[in-house]
Amino acid sequence: MARKAVATRASSATGLFTQVGNMVILTTRTISSAVRPPYPYGEELVDQFLFALRLCWFPLLVTTFALNLGAPGLQAAGPLQIFGALDRLGGFFVLTAIRWIGPLVTALIVAGAAGTAITADLGARKIREELDALQVLGVDPVKNLVVPRFLALMAITALLDVFAIVFGLTAGIAAELLYNQSLGGFFATLFSNASITDIWGSVLMCTMFGAIISVVCCYKGMTTSGGAAGVGRAVNQAVVTSLLGVFAFSYVFTAVLLATNPELQTIR
Amino acid sequence: MNAWLEVPRGWLDSFGEIGRFGLRVAGLVYSGRALRFFGEALRQSGILILGSALVIWGFVFILGLQCGLQGAYFFRAQGAPAYAGLFAAFCDLREAMPYAFGYMLSAKVGTGIVAEIGAMRISEEIDALEVMGVPPVTFLCASRLLGAWIALPFIYLVGIGVMYAASYLTVVQQVGDVSSGGYSLIFWMFQDPTDLIFSLIKGMTMATVIVLAGCYYGYTASGGPVGVGTATAKSMVFNIVAVHIIGMLATLVFWGANPRVPIGG
Repeated sequence: MARKAVATRASSATGLFTQVGNMVILTTRTISSAVRPPYPYGEELVDQFLFALRLCWFPLLVTTFALNLGAPGLQAAGPLQIFGALDRLGGFFVLTAIRWIGPLVTALIVAGAAGTAITADLGARKIREELDALQVLGVDPVKNLVVPRFLALMAITALLDVFAIVFGLTAGIAAELLYNQSLGGFFATLFSNASITDIWGSVLMCTMFGAIISVVCCYKGMTTSGGAAGVGRAVNQAVVTSLLGVFAFSYVFTAVLLATNPELQTIR
Repeated sequence: MNAWLEVPRGWLDSFGEIGRFGLRVAGLVYSGRALRFFGEALRQSGILILGSALVIWGFVFILGLQCGLQGAYFFRAQGAPAYAGLFAAFCDLREAMPYAFGYMLSAKVGTGIVAEIGAMRISEEIDALEVMGVPPVTFLCASRLLGAWIALPFIYLVGIGVMYAASYLTVVQQVGDVSSGGYSLIFWMFQDPTDLIFSLIKGMTMATVIVLAGCYYGYTASGGPVGVGTATAKSMVFNIVAVHIIGMLATLVFWGANPRVPIGG
């Protein structure tokens, strides 16, 4: 019994390593076939971009506003009000809305809305054997299906990050107004603390998130098996894997960004 | 232009349906009719513990690391590195833990329920249940909700511990601006058992909504294997937004008027 349990654990661990290795292989294949001519994926790229934008814009708007109003807005405004330093909320929002919550919520929404849709789409094609048919016709699925999704998700995550920051700051303004503060202090500390490094760090991190999400979701979709339950299970695994990957990557990225850019650590 | 409004309109369409379905399932549990399938409920909580607990704790651990990291650098910049515990306490207990719990539940448990029940619906197993005289909503949905209520509070409380450990690791061991004792002093000063209960209520509200939405989307899945995939994707979007709205409202209710910090008189 115990030996059997150990054997299952061991096989699931090797399965994990195999999957991660396959995803890395898929990433390198995607990048190499993206830069190597011919480039047949232009139209699909535009389609996927608009599709993802259509799915994500409204959830993103609601989510960033709610999260920034609740977590950093009200939670930080309480103690700051006791100190009589509510204008400092602007400086705090550089930390939360720009450096942290903006990218993570964008990744969450893109993985949850666009990534799941991609996995469901590719998974359905896989179990209807359309992907095999494409290969028989001499059409490379990586070049024609994965590359446009990869590029589109990278672009859309970076773009949506900008909107996430804007709506996050709007939520900060709402929190200030809830506490009957004038907005001058908020903007003063916000603009004196925000730096170009913060913005490009945020956008660069989001581009990487888009790459992670698209590779995981495409991989899970293209390796779906087992009928109706299989597609659902693939979507489930795709979301879990991409969220874990995104959050782990963001920890490493934030640690490196903060440690290598000392100017981010001074309060102005 | 209409294609752009598809997502919000879809929500408005299904919001009432989800509410009605959810109240029905919750009523089945509340009136004790779900106890008829208590064994199934225990099996569902067993699946939650074996299948989801480790993933949830792993995710929570990563977010705890981030809470500690951001707090440590923020308070170093303020010139008060000893107060990193304040940020860690607020971030871990009040905000990040419920959100991380909600995210991982919607990703792992919510979509899992949709995939399972949706596949049953597509392969007409739910109709078969009905023919056999087993009430499908009670057997499939109410037992899952009961199972979630049995297992999830404990997973949540252990998750809080995991998150505290992660924040301690980053603040004291990785960044290292504050001593272990100094960190603990501030960290434990800025929280009390009431905060823990509020946080638990917040997390469990999210969990209830996620399980109910998962059951709804799975139970109403249609259109073959593709339909199951689409329903799973839809439930994920709904869950994420629901988690954030619940989080914001709970913060407003619990900590909006009284921030509950030991500062001043």
